[in-house]
Amino acid sequence: MKESTAAAVPLSIAPVRKKRAAYHWKGIRRNKLLYLMILPGFLYFIAFKYLPMGGLVIAFQDYQPYLGVADSPWVGFKHFIRLFTEPTFMMLLRNTLVLFAMNIIFFFPLPIILALMLNEVRHRFFKSAVQTIIYIPHFLSWVIIVSICYVFLTVDGGVLNELLASVGLPKVSFLTSPEWLRAMYIGQIIWKELGWSTIIFISAITVVDTQLYEAAEMDGAGRLRKMWHVTLPAIRPVIITLLILKIGSTLDLGFEHMYLLLNSLNREVAEIFDTYIYTAGLKNGQLSYSTTVGLFKGLVGLILVVAANKLARKMGEDGVY
Amino acid sequence: MDKRKMKQAALLLLGSTLLLSACSSGGNGNGNANTGNEGSSSAAPNTSGTEEKNAEPAKISWLNILHTASPPTDTVLDKIEELTNTELSFSWVPDASKEERINTSLASNSLADIVTLTILDNSSVRSALKSGMFWDVGPFLDEFPNLKTISQDVRDSASIEGKLYGVPFQKAMARNGVIIRKDWLDKLGLPVPKTTDELMNVAKAFTEQDPDGNGQKDTTGFMDRSDLVYGVFKTVGSYFGVPNIWKVEDGKAIPEFTTDNYIATMDYMKQLYDNGLINQDFAVTAKTDQQQKFAQGKAGIYVGALFDSKNLLNMSKGVQDNMELVMVNDITAPGQERGIWAGNNGIGGLLSFPRTDVKDEAELKTVLNFVDQLMGEEIYSLMTYGIEGVHYTADADKAVTITDTTLWQQEVQPFASSRPSEVGYTIHDADPLKKEADRLIADNANYAILNPFYSLESATWSSQGSELQKIMTDATYKYILGKATLDEFKASIDKWMKSGGSAVISEYEAAYKAVKG
Repeated sequence: MKESTAAAVPLSIAPVRKKRAAYHWKGIRRNKLLYLMILPGFLYFIAFKYLPMGGLVIAFQDYQPYLGVADSPWVGFKHFIRLFTEPTFMMLLRNTLVLFAMNIIFFFPLPIILALMLNEVRHRFFKSAVQTIIYIPHFLSWVIIVSICYVFLTVDGGVLNELLASVGLPKVSFLTSPEWLRAMYIGQIIWKELGWSTIIFISAITVVDTQLYEAAEMDGAGRLRKMWHVTLPAIRPVIITLLILKIGSTLDLGFEHMYLLLNSLNREVAEIFDTYIYTAGLKNGQLSYSTTVGLFKGLVGLILVVAANKLARKMGEDGVY
Repeated sequence: MDKRKMKQAALLLLGSTLLLSACSSGGNGNGNANTGNEGSSSAAPNTSGTEEKNAEPAKISWLNILHTASPPTDTVLDKIEELTNTELSFSWVPDASKEERINTSLASNSLADIVTLTILDNSSVRSALKSGMFWDVGPFLDEFPNLKTISQDVRDSASIEGKLYGVPFQKAMARNGVIIRKDWLDKLGLPVPKTTDELMNVAKAFTEQDPDGNGQKDTTGFMDRSDLVYGVFKTVGSYFGVPNIWKVEDGKAIPEFTTDNYIATMDYMKQLYDNGLINQDFAVTAKTDQQQKFAQGKAGIYVGALFDSKNLLNMSKGVQDNMELVMVNDITAPGQERGIWAGNNGIGGLLSFPRTDVKDEAELKTVLNFVDQLMGEEIYSLMTYGIEGVHYTADADKAVTITDTTLWQQEVQPFASSRPSEVGYTIHDADPLKKEADRLIADNANYAILNPFYSLESATWSSQGSELQKIMTDATYKYILGKATLDEFKASIDKWMKSGGSAVISEYEAAYKAVKG
């Protein structure tokens, strides 16, 4: 029985497939200019995104550069077992997820609120001046931002601690306390990215149909009411899309930023997958093991983005794909 | 040409340029490690009048570590090329990022004829060496006059499993000590400390008795940086009798942090921290900040390499003009014998020659010949002091005075870490501070505490060493800063043992037994 179905299926489908293929081919030929325009981007993705994925096989090897992929011994899931049994794994996962959750809860709504507030500003010059100013921090590198914070927060003559001392409060070692790390991390992200992140929301708000506002006004809605019932629902698809994209990059918390904040005393809350890959892989030279960590990180990101997208569709939104 | 064709052509052109630019940028990324200081080759050496062999200069590339902010200019380089009849091209790797750069170079096989490897205990460097990526130079050394002089002890120390995968850098055995503000000591009427307790008292006086006389309590005793090895901790540890990473007792391997001496050192540091005798943010202070703050007169005790004293004094010019420094290398804790840890047992790393770039024995001999020449006194003085009359003047005693410090820093200093040997030359610095530092460093060698396992092999340590180290480094900081109790510190030791430490111990014990019998 098995054989017969196996044989029957291709038979019944083959002609349809052929027809379909021919149809597709026709479509391609008809629109060949359009396809030609896709080609560079397509090749880019093949060359720089898909071909390098082949390198992931070293996660299943004891890769040694001198031997190359061909001759390095295959070890199966050895590195995965090590990752999941290592005590650091739970710490990495916890830190990454906590920081991610904080990022979503404390940072994500802020640009929306700020965009709404800017939208209410009637004075055009004032509005554009504010917009320009709040974009500036985005162009500073993390090194500069973390260094500025260092100067402000250090116990040895930092401005903030001097201030605390002058009013008789004890000094706080912000830089070396695990308790302060997360607040510092989120605070720096807010300072750097808040303004820049408003751009998309502001442009989404500007295309909202003004008739809706007028209608709402007729119904006696005040400013807050209009915001709640007109603006927010109008930009909801944009918010959802950005949220899904954000979740997709869950575990990309920003290597550079965290690496600069990390030290011996706050490692228990500051070590995330990115920094761990850097120390284990590049500094320690465990290429196979760190590839495993990276692969795991990527998988978690993929699962989260697919799940978030499904959820969005269930809630009646469009999702990103 | 009709319109449609033109469109197509334009698109094709666009597509191909995009592709090309994509390719070229990719190429740049990979080739980075190979692009060296090529400007150097254009300046032809002036060989008129000298007895030069007319042979074609050998082209040698060198992946080298840079300890200064910027690579050297060509002046000294041209001279070296002329003397050795070579055409050198350097790829400089900043010391701060050497681990990732060397590891990526190893992983992508983009090396050079000579590769400076300073982190021999790094697992990927070690496994690269063991994989046979580099030439075993052991059999060739005796063919060259200068390389021949490398002692068997040094060769043994630098070998891995009996094979010498490069020419060892010969450094001073132990170069660390304590540098103190002499003018502050004099002002407060204190003698130069000889014990750890006296050192603590000096720190206390520097903190509380306003040594800079500005009426404000704005100084501390110690100025440290976030480094448990090259900072205060390990050197003071030596005074407390802490072994150098490992010690062997009755064939048993004992890690330093399980000794009582280690805990005593932590307590000492804790006391410094609790009483504000050390900069409170030392755990996050960078080396440059540390040195600058010391030069600005914010603290009076600096622990590190003794030759740093000269740099510190130079840095203080114009800021702390009355700074005077005194160096101490014979401090001891109560009941302890004098000792000082030896960094890598006096080996600064290896000059290694990858088989991929140095193809055969003939090429290897060319490169070895070049290294041999570097060890000669003439090139040593060139790489240390520069060109006589330009950078320095020397008296009949071969005592050197640097005449143009700025020029020396730009053109000569970057080569300092490229010298295959730093010991056994007659030419020396006339600067009293440097001379004294050299004397004390030489004196240190008599009290050097060695790591008994330096040249031995532990597979677990090779693969997980840095992570294990991290456990203990973090625990030590936490104890010093009062964020962990002694019990918690001991729990960290258990964690270290469980995470692979006990395997490391038994592997080292076995290896030690195999060597010592």
